[in-house]
Amino acid sequence: MRINGVFIEDTFAEAFPMRAARIVVTAVNGRWAREAALELTGFATSVIACKCEAAMERDLTPAETPDARPGVSVLLFAMDTESLGKRLVERIGQTVLTCPTTNCFDGLPHADKRLTSGRALRVFGDGFQASKVVGGDRFWRIPVMDGEFLLQESFGVAKGIGGGNFIILGADAASTLDAAESAAAAIANMAGIILPFPGGVARSGSKVGSGRYKGLAASTNDAYCPTLRPLTKSSLPDDVGSVLEIVLDGLDETAIRAAMRAGIAAACKPGIRAITAGNYGGKLGPHHFPLREIMAETATAGAAP
Amino acid sequence: MSEYVTLTLRGPLAERIEAGAIVPNAFATLAEADIARLPLWLGRKQVMIGDVFAVGGERSASVRIHGDVRHVTGIGAGMTSGTLKVEGDAGARIGAGMAGGTIDVLGSVEDDAGAGMTGGSIHVRANAGNRIGSATAGASRGMTGGEIIVDGSVGTDAGARMRRGLLFIGGAAGDRVARSIIAGSVIVIGRVGAEPAFASKRGCLVVCGGVAVPPTYRFACEYEPPHVRLMLTHISRRYGVAVTPRVVGGRYRRYCGDAGTVAKGEILEWIRE
Repeated sequence: MRINGVFIEDTFAEAFPMRAARIVVTAVNGRWAREAALELTGFATSVIACKCEAAMERDLTPAETPDARPGVSVLLFAMDTESLGKRLVERIGQTVLTCPTTNCFDGLPHADKRLTSGRALRVFGDGFQASKVVGGDRFWRIPVMDGEFLLQESFGVAKGIGGGNFIILGADAASTLDAAESAAAAIANMAGIILPFPGGVARSGSKVGSGRYKGLAASTNDAYCPTLRPLTKSSLPDDVGSVLEIVLDGLDETAIRAAMRAGIAAACKPGIRAITAGNYGGKLGPHHFPLREIMAETATAGAAP
Repeated sequence: MSEYVTLTLRGPLAERIEAGAIVPNAFATLAEADIARLPLWLGRKQVMIGDVFAVGGERSASVRIHGDVRHVTGIGAGMTSGTLKVEGDAGARIGAGMAGGTIDVLGSVEDDAGAGMTGGSIHVRANAGNRIGSATAGASRGMTGGEIIVDGSVGTDAGARMRRGLLFIGGAAGDRVARSIIAGSVIVIGRVGAEPAFASKRGCLVVCGGVAVPPTYRFACEYEPPHVRLMLTHISRRYGVAVTPRVVGGRYRRYCGDAGTVAKGEILEWIRE
């Protein structure tokens, strides 16, 4: 299969179950909502070392937020519900509570499973906090130095999927980065999807474990490092000089498939040789995303290189 | 099963009728004839729903009442689910003690609407009488949950002794609004009468149209209370009530009181956009 002359490898991305929360941060204007969301999603690229993966999902208009102010929707993923609860308390408490003018709401109101992170954080009010029940949901008013911070008591937990991915193989660094930027832009603001790495792009694709150092959870994916082509069992064609990866976390398979379709289509630009995906032979997780099947609707026929 | 059960008043009422049997969730399993046989009280005399109303439909928890039922008291009292729509004015104690479901009154209601309710919602499109959302006679607590929305004005003692819940008044409120509230929120877009939030322990009284703050409340600050914005936005979206942006995003003076109690209550007085 080829799209715009770019070869789509007959492989699949392998992803694994995670637990997800959607956090809605509002503020006096979009700038402060994004400031809080940036901090909330900082150092959250990979569960390997960050304990969670998080990024902004999309900007919200006042018509979309509970308090009719500009907001940002954030998705946060962790490996299990307990860990998700801890991350919510840590991150909301240290980044949203601290940010001027913000309020914080749950973005998964229909989820049956709930985490009472807001209740845990209410004690910052040192007994001066007060609760309000509005529309059947409880909110905490926590006094702060610029007024009050309003925080929803419970946050919904969804069964999310982490580790969706596709890998862009380009002729050189410039064209590969350009294609990766296009892919990230095409996925940005899609509902139920985040790209947790910087700018939505990862350059340090990893393999499980290490060939040399015991106890290392992950190490560089040498098969895709152009500089190691003569030194390792390389997976790169001769005309590939740079590789970047798009990693996706989503609330369900449908969202990930749609995002992969949009991202891969956008990445098929001049200078790109092939699109592939990372998997572990089906041993890592139950969620498989076959590239050719996903791209079937947008593909044009072509010969393999 | 019908889409809804309709009760159409057969003729004008000269006497007050106690209609505790008109409860939507009770209609959900009854045939039309069974609904018509439910008892009502006309003074000391027991009559049947079918004597007073023409009953249409069966086995539905959605009820519509047609006709002038200002003399029918206790409609929807104690209801736990379903919907009840009154296509005009309604009598006293509508929705009193209700625990769930929704009541929508297109006209006005008499006294004690939603008294002692624990859940559900009441939307009154015109005005309400005294003691809306308050405690029933002899009870220590008024409403302990749910939401009451009145587009117009209300009488005295609105929300008295309420423990939890939301009472929104689109017009003015009479004397002693939010009297002795233990918690919960009362929002008045218009003016309020004398002794607002008198002896309140906790809870929140928001007044946008003018309030004489009692001397037992102490000024704290001017600010934009986020929970007021949230509540007004919720009311506007859920109930379709037109709330001016001037008060949704406005600045308020916060007063803490009542000093005669634990003083964890507040009066929020709207001052400007």
